[in-house]
Amino acid sequence: MTNPHDQDDDLLAAEYVLGLLDADDWRAAHERAALDGGFAARVRDWEIRLDGLNTDFPEMPAPDLLPQIEARLFPAPVQPPRGAGLWRWLGAGSMVAALAIGLAVLSPVLRAPQAPLLTAELVAEDRALVLAASFDGTQLRLQADGPEAGDGQDYELWVIGADGVPASLGLLRGGLFETQAALEAGQVLAVSLEPAGGSDTGLPTGPVLATAELRES
Amino acid sequence: MTDEISILLTRLAQQDRVALKMLYPKVAPKLMGLLTRMLGDRADAEDALQEVMIRLWQRSASYDPQKGTGMGWVCAVARNHALDRLRARPAARGHRLVTTDGDARDVLDSVADPAIGAEDQSILRARMQSVIACFDELPEDRARAVKGAYLMGQSYQELAAQFDVPLNTMRTWLRRALISLRECLDR
Repeated sequence: MTNPHDQDDDLLAAEYVLGLLDADDWRAAHERAALDGGFAARVRDWEIRLDGLNTDFPEMPAPDLLPQIEARLFPAPVQPPRGAGLWRWLGAGSMVAALAIGLAVLSPVLRAPQAPLLTAELVAEDRALVLAASFDGTQLRLQADGPEAGDGQDYELWVIGADGVPASLGLLRGGLFETQAALEAGQVLAVSLEPAGGSDTGLPTGPVLATAELRES
Repeated sequence: MTDEISILLTRLAQQDRVALKMLYPKVAPKLMGLLTRMLGDRADAEDALQEVMIRLWQRSASYDPQKGTGMGWVCAVARNHALDRLRARPAARGHRLVTTDGDARDVLDSVADPAIGAEDQSILRARMQSVIACFDELPEDRARAVKGAYLMGQSYQELAAQFDVPLNTMRTWLRRALISLRECLDR
């Protein structure tokens, strides 16, 4: 902490965490924390230093907002189930059950054989960086909308499977990224900010800017 | 840390929806208290609570269980969001001036979080004691100003008005206070 520049940055991080800055300065620091890994680490250090003060906040009864939260995070498919009107027309009872069983048995045959298209949208804080990903069964394509990673830094793309261990898919440079990969629905894509050339540990070392689950589109 | 909340956060990072259901009742009362205190308005706090839960889900992959407790990270995300809202308010509305709380000692009385295991409880207690000791090393009014900022989201400008000192004086005071706090807390 001998470098005066470091000192300034560290105090700015403290002022940002405490909330001392006025609207414009706070917003600038907020954007910097989202994209500058070194600054984000200073911010995190101050949050941990001051963690003890959180016990001063009281607990209060909270309404159950979980249904609204889940509805926003996991919107139900908008398309109504096919043939819903037909089922109603046929009426309830054994006929429906028999048809349902028949369809369940037949459905692998009826289903289109091509691999489903998987998509994911990775959105960083305040939409400072948005990555639209699509996977057609062999090829992963990403379209990036946002600033470059900055001097001495790179964005790195990861896939996280059921084991929870991230595996690197490569560095994101420029607006378009393409790579061959074997991916499946339910896996999570993540983008982290790394030193230029990417993480040298094989795991993300910088802040994770955004994550999203691959889903059938 | 191996507290229950940090375990749930790592499950959130795997897009585990059951973990979200389990997390909500454990953090909502604390978040409701924090957001109501900072935003000064219950309806606004309820709206913010939804936003915070969504951010916890989206950002859980950036939580590092090696650094800080789960509840500490949850509170940091919530404070950040509350500040975001406060700074977006028109200046005229701002934050109402509120009398500052008692000194830092009262935090020790309120620590009894059942979601934190005994071992982490003692780590947290030790950390809190060091925060209190370090605040005690500051001049009393500066300690109050730093706490006011942390708990109420007050800016330099609001604090300068409240303590009736010029803005630059408040800035100099608090920067010095932050440097000594950092030295003390990192000791």
